[in-house]
Amino acid sequence: MTLRLITDDLRPMRAGRRRATLVLIAVLAILPLATLIGEGNGWINNSTLFSMTQMLMLVTLASNWNFISGFTGYVDFGHAAFFGLGAYSTGILMVKAGWPFFPTLAIGAVTAALAAVMIGRATMHLKGPYFSIAMLGTFAALREIVRVARPLTGGGPGLSLPPYLNRPLFYYLALTQAVLVVGLYRWLRGTEFGAMMVSIRENERGAEMRGINTLGVKLMAFTVAAASTGLVGGMWAYQNTFIDPDIVFLDSRTIEMALASVVGGLGTIVGPVVGSGLLYWMRDIVWASFLQWHLVIEGTILIAVVLAMPNGVMGLVGGRPGIDLIRLWVRRGRQ
Amino acid sequence: MSEFLQALVNLVMLGGFYALMVMGFSLIWGVMGVINLAHGEFVLMGAYLTWVMNRHLGWEPLVALVVVLPAMFLFGYLLQRVLINRIIDRHHLVSLLVTYGLAIIVANSLKLVFTGTPRSLTTALGGFWRVGDVTIPVVKTYDLAIALVMMGALSLLLRRTRLGKSVRAAAQNRQAARMVGVNIASVFAVTFGLGVAFTGAAGTLFGLTQPIAPFVGLPLTLRAFAITTMAGLGNIRGALFGSFALAAVEVFIGTYVPRVGTNLGLVATFVVLVVILVLRPQGLFGGLTPVEET
Repeated sequence: MTLRLITDDLRPMRAGRRRATLVLIAVLAILPLATLIGEGNGWINNSTLFSMTQMLMLVTLASNWNFISGFTGYVDFGHAAFFGLGAYSTGILMVKAGWPFFPTLAIGAVTAALAAVMIGRATMHLKGPYFSIAMLGTFAALREIVRVARPLTGGGPGLSLPPYLNRPLFYYLALTQAVLVVGLYRWLRGTEFGAMMVSIRENERGAEMRGINTLGVKLMAFTVAAASTGLVGGMWAYQNTFIDPDIVFLDSRTIEMALASVVGGLGTIVGPVVGSGLLYWMRDIVWASFLQWHLVIEGTILIAVVLAMPNGVMGLVGGRPGIDLIRLWVRRGRQ
Repeated sequence: MSEFLQALVNLVMLGGFYALMVMGFSLIWGVMGVINLAHGEFVLMGAYLTWVMNRHLGWEPLVALVVVLPAMFLFGYLLQRVLINRIIDRHHLVSLLVTYGLAIIVANSLKLVFTGTPRSLTTALGGFWRVGDVTIPVVKTYDLAIALVMMGALSLLLRRTRLGKSVRAAAQNRQAARMVGVNIASVFAVTFGLGVAFTGAAGTLFGLTQPIAPFVGLPLTLRAFAITTMAGLGNIRGALFGSFALAAVEVFIGTYVPRVGTNLGLVATFVVLVVILVLRPQGLFGGLTPVEET
């Protein structure tokens, strides 16, 4: 099983699929031009562009979450902590130190990566649910630290960033990052590193016996994902022009990443992309009219998908299986 | 000195609440192997249920327990039959995702029904007892008493009754329990119901000491997890100790670290938790073995 999974991804991308990917990227790239023409016709406008930007950010976030949770099997329930670190790096540097926007993004990514190394060194020794909940705790704890560190972070009242409402800029930033990140993960998946990640998920003790430095691989994956999530956080903060502990460290942010990955297909490259698209499509079209219900509906979808469609959409359309939740039916370990 | 005594009193009160709160979590995890991430939200359901009876029927909150307990039991029983039963024995990823989904659903439904405005209970048990410089809120002493009585009842139920015997048997070895005639499915449903009922009762006590809001469940879940892990699974005496230890950490930080203390309680909890998990993954007191391999 493991072998088949790995060799599958070493095959070159099928021509049809490559063409579809290029077309998708091209369409996304010229979409903002449509707002110039379409403004006033009502079929596409600035708020559509904003919504698309959010979706592309979710593509990146979900891919990051899936990289650590779906590939190494270390389910990270606190991944939004790194989003928060990125957002606050940008916020603090722009407001308190008067930095321009782009350098703060780099600092945000580095901060998130350093934090990931430190947090990961402690929590990545933990197995299974213990890791998940330690990360959930890290996330909740970080929110309180930010709230308390008022002189630096603005505390509960938050920080107001200089407003800059250039929607196409954020759109292209989000698009570029999404394309690069998904491409990076696809490439990594086919390398030896990707094989080591999956071997940890399938059988960590076995991987160790084969001489894989499991802690090193896990930490590396964790750090890469965290840095990318930190970058999204920085962009989001500037786009939102306001940050406070509760909107940055939103409980539902991690759920969103998990939901997009699980709906699309956990442990696949395409899954998070498809999942994010579906999620935004449903949000805009299906339940735009019951907005306050959307988290209730999303929670329900999460449960339904996990129980009824464990391979996600990618499983339904015959894509390569990532994690088959049914295969994990029999609990191992404790008897 | 009086500051220290006051902190000690607060510690005992808070620890009593934590101990009752953690019972349901520990029971469900220990017997079914399900880590219930919706635990804090179940506490809030109990709290809101109490608030409804307190506000609209004018009942004394502690009297509302006669409704909260059976109502939450029924809710838990049905939930187990419909949903939780499907995730027992499956990979922890499945149960974590499903119970986290449940937590989001419950928290947001509570917000839709009761709005985000914090609610508080009105009680006739206001006022304080003063012993020297130490003040003890009357209502908290009742809280503590109720918590201890309920824990005693649960402990007796598990030790002395036939039902308790089946629950323990199912937790230890499901196959063998089935062979000697224990109906596992019904034992699990009843256990989940009991766990949720006790959790709901903890919600009543929660509402007596602090405002009830839809999104304060997560820290409670995290504390329940921290205590259970510290104590070792399915270990009631360990859970008691863990509750008081956690309360001690929070109260002393709250008392002695000026201004920011109360917020940092949760942070301290997690530093303690991660250190303990790394050093002693089986918990401080042994108990059942934690899920080592995934």
